[in-house]
Amino acid sequence: MRGRRGALHTLVGAYVMDAVTGRDQADFERHLLSCEQCQDEVRGLREATAHLASAAAVAPRPELREQTMRASERTRQLPPLVPGQSARHGGGRVSAHSWLPRMVAGVAVVLAVTAILLGVHVSTMQARLGALQQRDSAITAILGSHDATTLTADVRTGGTATVVMSHRARALVFTASGLSRLPTSKVYELWLMGPGGATPAGMLPSGHHGMSGPVVVNRLAPGDRLGLTIEPSAGTGQPTSAPVLMVALGP
Amino acid sequence: MQPPGQGAGGTAGQAARRPGDEYRGVNWLGGEQADGAHGDGAPDSGQSGPGGRRLELVLADVAKGDHAAFRAVYDQAAPAVLGTIRRVLRDPAQSEEVMQEVLLEVWRTAARFDPSVGSASAWIMTLAHRRAVDRVRSEQRAAARELRAATATIDYDEVSDAALTTLEQERVRRCLGGLTELQRESVTLAYYGGYSYREVAQLLGVAVGTVKTRMRDGLIRLRDCLGVE
Repeated sequence: MRGRRGALHTLVGAYVMDAVTGRDQADFERHLLSCEQCQDEVRGLREATAHLASAAAVAPRPELREQTMRASERTRQLPPLVPGQSARHGGGRVSAHSWLPRMVAGVAVVLAVTAILLGVHVSTMQARLGALQQRDSAITAILGSHDATTLTADVRTGGTATVVMSHRARALVFTASGLSRLPTSKVYELWLMGPGGATPAGMLPSGHHGMSGPVVVNRLAPGDRLGLTIEPSAGTGQPTSAPVLMVALGP
Repeated sequence: MQPPGQGAGGTAGQAARRPGDEYRGVNWLGGEQADGAHGDGAPDSGQSGPGGRRLELVLADVAKGDHAAFRAVYDQAAPAVLGTIRRVLRDPAQSEEVMQEVLLEVWRTAARFDPSVGSASAWIMTLAHRRAVDRVRSEQRAAARELRAATATIDYDEVSDAALTTLEQERVRRCLGGLTELQRESVTLAYYGGYSYREVAQLLGVAVGTVKTRMRDGLIRLRDCLGVE
């Protein structure tokens, strides 16, 4: 994929016009996560497309207005996901993290899926997500930080890990889905693996149906990699098995 | 390049003119309306003046379940939403249906609109366009769609003839006119035609890579010409 980076970037125009499909779309969206310049460009070009839209304006039949209003009265609204206004920066230009709402929405989707599996009412889980975000200001700070980047990687033994990290905050949020179930004597453990060796970075809470996290990992150092191993359930001071996941955290 | 017609013009402005509506004169395209482009006579010179409340602020009220605010958003957004969807879908009845879906989606998810990511109008139009394109593509899977090479010309002519009446719309037409032919065709086929960039390349008989860059260059030129950030 590396050789396609430049080619991927030029897709930004097609992308904002929903003209990128299939694998191209997946590739581009992955690229977008780590390309702040692309995020800015997406934002600006979307504004341009909104003008194209308004240039096509036609008057809807008048009765559609009341129909839509009546339908809205029967439609429950979704609650906000992020305790919002703190993320606003008055006046100043904010670099676009167009992926961020999707990321947060992704967490909500995971929760919703979990909720369905567990038979818990979705709104309860959404309330819990809200509570979690409010209580855990560390997660909110990382998700909302300007330099937040998202990485996803496959776990060798099954499942996908998502890491949102902020170098400025020197912290990351780790979540995983689809993890293989472990016997009760085992646990997934995170490690920061730097030049000086491995530092324990927390054990994953025993997940429901392969979902786990979020776990906040602090004190990232330059050159650190994030590793995940399977360890005895008491945890260990040093990894005792080969990592099932290793993520380079960048600069 | 004909003078604006009398037809569909000023629809947004007319729809917004409701006596007693506290949301009258909401700015559809944010600060870009400072020239009074709505043509509804409202003094919408400021971004937050009484006659020109920003759509972003109104959406915040919608998020709180304010039906009057939603009405105002509808009045501002529905014409552009419907027009765009109709360009892509063509079928008027289906377009109305999708328009209502989109507006309801705005109602439902208003709390999740993030103003730091872009304007409210861009958010709404992104929802609208994506939904229209999704509808087209799901239908395509059932029945292969005919590629009509003439669409580019038709689309552009439609822009010139039917819709461009307000100053804002006139500006878009002028800016589209400043694109190279290939840029303009690529942009209008993708946006108004709902074609994928690979389909556009085939329609225009040019390389896929060329179309990608023309779409990007064309939109950048359009963005700069319109003076949007």
